[in-house]
Amino acid sequence: MTNEDVGTNSVADRLQVGPREGVTYPIQMKYCGHCTMPIEYCEYYPEYEKCKDWLELHMPDDFERLKIEEEAAAADGTDDDKKRQKRGGKGLLRVKKKEDVPKRICVSRAARGKKKSVTVVTGLSTFDIDLKVAAKFFGTKFACGSSVTGDDEIVIQGDVKDDLFDVIPEKWAEIDEDVIEDLGDQKRT
Amino acid sequence: MFKKFEEKDSISSIQQLKSSVQKGIRAKLLEAYPKLENHIDLILPKKDSYRIAKCHDHIELLLNGAGDQVFFRHRDGPWMPTLRLLHKFPYFVTMQQVDKGAIRFVLSGANVMCPGLTSPGACMTPADKDTVVAIMAEGKEHALAVGLLTLSTQEILAKNKGIGIETYHFLNDGLWKSKPVK
Repeated sequence: MTNEDVGTNSVADRLQVGPREGVTYPIQMKYCGHCTMPIEYCEYYPEYEKCKDWLELHMPDDFERLKIEEEAAAADGTDDDKKRQKRGGKGLLRVKKKEDVPKRICVSRAARGKKKSVTVVTGLSTFDIDLKVAAKFFGTKFACGSSVTGDDEIVIQGDVKDDLFDVIPEKWAEIDEDVIEDLGDQKRT
Repeated sequence: MFKKFEEKDSISSIQQLKSSVQKGIRAKLLEAYPKLENHIDLILPKKDSYRIAKCHDHIELLLNGAGDQVFFRHRDGPWMPTLRLLHKFPYFVTMQQVDKGAIRFVLSGANVMCPGLTSPGACMTPADKDTVVAIMAEGKEHALAVGLLTLSTQEILAKNKGIGIETYHFLNDGLWKSKPVK
C-alpha cells in the first residue's frame, strides 16, 4: 500500500483483498447483545431503541461514540435521506416476537418401582441452558444417571430434589432459588 | 437461502469427515481463497477434525472442531464463508460496497440490485461472474452479507438493472442466529 493510494481512492483501497498491515487476525468483534449484529448496523434494526439501551448498559464507550456521531449528523442539517434517492418498498426487517414464557423451573419426584424414585426437572430451557450439558452436570454432581427425556425435561435417577434447590442457583447464577418450584410427588407421565 | 433456516429443523444430519476429505476441502478452500494461506490454520487447524452438517435444500455447513459454522455451500457450489468468520478475517473475499439506501434491503434478505452497486456511495472491485463476494456498506466497517455475483462487474456497470449479487447469507438470518453445533 503506497501513500498515493490512500489519498486518492480510500474506498476502493478498503475493498482490496489481502491482509492489512498492522492488523492482527482474527479481529475481535463487538456485537450488540440485543440484535446480535455488529454495533454499526444496530440503526437498521427495528428495535433500535432497545439496542441503544443495551449499548448504554454494556458498552458505554461505544455508546458515547455513537451518540457523538449522531449529534454530528444532526448538526449537519442535511439529512442523508435527502441526498439519496428513496427506493420503493418498505424494506424493513420484521422482528419476530420472542415468546415470553414465564421463566420457571419445576422439580418433582416420581416413583420408580416400590422403593426407588427419580427426579424430574423441567423448565431449564427457558433460561437458555443447554439441556444436554445440564443433564451431564447433574449426573456427575449426584453420581447417578441423568438424561434428557423430552423437549424440556431432564430425569435424574434417585431422589435429589432437595439438593437441586442449592445446586441449580449455584451452577447457573442467573437462576434465583425462588423461581424453582417444588411440585412434590408426581406420577411419571 | 438462510432466511427460513432454523437450527433445530433444518439440520438433518451431522457427519464426521474423513481426513482425506478434510484435506480435499482445505485444498479447495485455499484454491478459492489464496489469500487465506497464512491464517487457515487458525480457522481450520490441521489436526482438528471437522464435521459437515447436511441441511435442507442441499445446503452443507462446514463445522470446525469447536462446532462453529465456518463455511457453507449450496449443492456443488463454491464454499462460502459465514459472516462470523468473515468479520474475523475480512480480507480474503472480494468485496463489493453498496450504498446506504440498499443496506436495509440487504439486511432483510434481498438480492443486491445493480443500481445499488453503481451509485456514488457504492464501490465495486472488478470480478467475474459467479465469484463469491462479501457485501460491505457505505460508511460501515464490517460486511453485512455474503453473495455470489450473477453478472460480472463490467456487465453490472453496463446494464445497471436487475440483480447484481445474489445474497446467500446476511446479518440476522437463520445461519447467523444459529449457535455452535455440539
